[in-house]
Amino acid sequence: MSASSSQALEYLELLPRQTHTKLYEQPSTVLAIFRCMLPHLAKTIVMAMLYMPTPFAASDLDAWFRPDGKREREKALAVLEQLHIVVPQQDAHRRTSYELYPGFARSLRQALEGSGTHRSFGVPSSTPDPKRVTVAFLDEYARNQWENILFYMVGSTVGLANAGALAQDVNEGTKALLRAGDFVKLAHGRVSITRAGFTFVLQETNAQVWSLLIVYLKHAPQLSMSETDVLSFLFMLGSLELGQDYTTSTLSATQLQMLEDLSAFGIVYRSSKDALTFYPTRLAVTLTSDSGALSSSEPLAKSLVSSNRDGSAQGFIIVETNYRLYAYTSSLLQIAVLSLFTKLTTRFPNLVSGKLTKESITRAVKLGISSAQILSYLTSHAHPQMQKTQPFLPPTVMDQIRLWEYEGERVETTNGFLMKEFSSESEYRDVLSYAESLGVLVWKSDAKRLFFVDRVEQISLYLQKKKNRSG
Amino acid sequence: MNGIDGTDRQVKTDEGPPPSLLAVVLDTNPHAWAHLSSTLPLSSCIAALLIFINAHLASGNGNEVAVIASHSHRAEWLYPTPHTTSPSHRSKLNGSTSSPNGTIKIPENPNKYRPFATVEQSLLQNFSALLSSTKEAHLAATPTTLIGGALSLALSYIAKSVLRHSPVDTGIENPLSALADSESSHTARVPLTSRILIVSVSGDLANQYIPVMNSIFAAQRKRIPIDILKLAGDTVLLQQASDATGGVYMKPEQPEGLLQYLMMGFLPDATARRSLVMPSAGGVDFRAACFCHRKVVDIGFVCSVCLSIFCEPNLPDNLCLTCGSYLSLRAAQTATPALIPRKKKKKKRAGGGDSATPGGSTPAGSSTPMHL
Repeated sequence: MSASSSQALEYLELLPRQTHTKLYEQPSTVLAIFRCMLPHLAKTIVMAMLYMPTPFAASDLDAWFRPDGKREREKALAVLEQLHIVVPQQDAHRRTSYELYPGFARSLRQALEGSGTHRSFGVPSSTPDPKRVTVAFLDEYARNQWENILFYMVGSTVGLANAGALAQDVNEGTKALLRAGDFVKLAHGRVSITRAGFTFVLQETNAQVWSLLIVYLKHAPQLSMSETDVLSFLFMLGSLELGQDYTTSTLSATQLQMLEDLSAFGIVYRSSKDALTFYPTRLAVTLTSDSGALSSSEPLAKSLVSSNRDGSAQGFIIVETNYRLYAYTSSLLQIAVLSLFTKLTTRFPNLVSGKLTKESITRAVKLGISSAQILSYLTSHAHPQMQKTQPFLPPTVMDQIRLWEYEGERVETTNGFLMKEFSSESEYRDVLSYAESLGVLVWKSDAKRLFFVDRVEQISLYLQKKKNRSG
Repeated sequence: MNGIDGTDRQVKTDEGPPPSLLAVVLDTNPHAWAHLSSTLPLSSCIAALLIFINAHLASGNGNEVAVIASHSHRAEWLYPTPHTTSPSHRSKLNGSTSSPNGTIKIPENPNKYRPFATVEQSLLQNFSALLSSTKEAHLAATPTTLIGGALSLALSYIAKSVLRHSPVDTGIENPLSALADSESSHTARVPLTSRILIVSVSGDLANQYIPVMNSIFAAQRKRIPIDILKLAGDTVLLQQASDATGGVYMKPEQPEGLLQYLMMGFLPDATARRSLVMPSAGGVDFRAACFCHRKVVDIGFVCSVCLSIFCEPNLPDNLCLTCGSYLSLRAAQTATPALIPRKKKKKKRAGGGDSATPGGSTPAGSSTPMHL
């Protein structure tokens, strides 16, 4: 599970049961959720239960896992229950057993077997398109649209002269969405980027797409669109074939409306606003697969993340131990992003060079960029020559960037919940170990029987269950 | 200051499980399937296998699959379809299905996920081609299946995929240099975890003892677990294969429930297996097959030079069949075996199995004069 899909998972987990139930009616949605949202062991559990004729007894499940795999098991089950995929039951003898949610099981079976008549994997257009477009064109289109959006955010902040000219291509709806998502704010008629916006810009492309789409989803009800429709359409897009045209005739009104917005993002391509077909671009078809800018076999990395199409397709940044930085790029966007935390000095036709200095890093930190973000950006765009060493970046540079950040930051804050007033030591231990196995524990004090968690839903469920059992 | 400690200098890149390659060896021995047809016809076995493969592909975005049929007279690729012109370029990554080679056209089906349809289509086409090319003469010639050949096909495919996946090498034009330091290069990033699943129905594979054993040792060395699903028949060999490589061994009591066995027992990949209790072959039969008649022997005679195993002491000209060194077993024969425990097969079970075959067994497979 990559960083990009975990955002989507967090969003999905917070949806109510009814939405889940509706979502699970579409096999393509179920398959996409299964493929990219679930933790690895959760997939294993789901698959084991999929064709099981009887409910899976909890004791059998325990026996299936090794004793040291308890932590992973709790985590997997917690996610499955949160998404209402697995339903725990108690029989007359108070023995717990698990069962797959019937709608989910049915749809997943249909997806695996290719049965049913749900037509949820996209209906290809039957009439050949006279103006058929190539994959290369789609890539180009997607990259242009997406870079425009990014440039709209970054360009004005770093004050590039021709920022305005490029950003004009971004349509009003997208601009409104970026503001709604708190990625940019308007101050004195000028666009400036926010802390969340920086996080957004420094992410991998796939994670960026998801971040933007989640903002879109959250605002869907305001535009009188149903969340379920929007989500299942997104998941369907993820299972389409690149370079194939699909018909719009089977789409609902909401989905037609979405098509327009999505083509503004560069996620789908339509030759005109009332065209009867649409083409998914690479941004769409990789929605539900791994983004992995680092994995070399991924064409997305080559075509989108870096925009210089010659030779060195993926990495272009070289950092030396003396903090000098060379970036083989001519893309304005890349240069703009680099200039957020680098003191750039020279620009050549295919190369910019500069230095990572204390001022440039602290300035970036003040703007809200964390050292981890800078490092992960530099790492994921490291030049192939740099990738020969492990780690890619010189350790001294990595440590120094962190030290510079820590100079300004002495206190760290986490939003969450304090659990206190446990009646006994054993109860405290029990809930604490549960919180630990879920990975939500932030801080604890054994002496005072207090602990602090950043997510509370699962724990309150657990406490409730405990209460029912004892009461 | 702990945060700046060198220990977490590694920027966390990908916490997901590594992609996993599943090579399925399907035993399509017509004789054995004919016996099984009342409980589990071959067609329903393939249907179950396809669902299992789809489940495997869905379990991880980088997951890949290869299917090989081990038929009675040949081992044949079912998926991916081997290219005759450019064998090096096979891209079938789950997320991005590159257009399949021109020969197979996948019908558009809005009810099916594309990558699943691709696998299913080519698997079924290749399989029916294999069946239609099988002549009666082939069937009459042998009652068994070429599991050894299929295993080595699977192993070589896995080796090739691992090379393709070691990302540092992708830019290198010369594949030989990658081969030379393959041990060091693919430690760098996302390694490919592979495993082999053999769906076996034929018994009596002892006549392929040497090639199969060699494959097992190759798999053991490359840390590729061999999982065995034994639907019918019983072979000493395959049990040893799963035991030596740390794979799963299952002999279902009800072959009808094949799909559930597959989904629960064989779907977890290496990452998931670390936290699961996997079924294995309880008591493993470690007996070896002799090199002269391919019979499974309890007590045999071992060449002192190359450790070849013989079931009887009467070797022609007192020369070892494998290495040709002088080997008089008459002395061993005169006394009862119980009195000379050192010569006993039993004695060399533990270590002997490992060292017996790599020595010089491969030539014996073809040049043994006494083959029955």
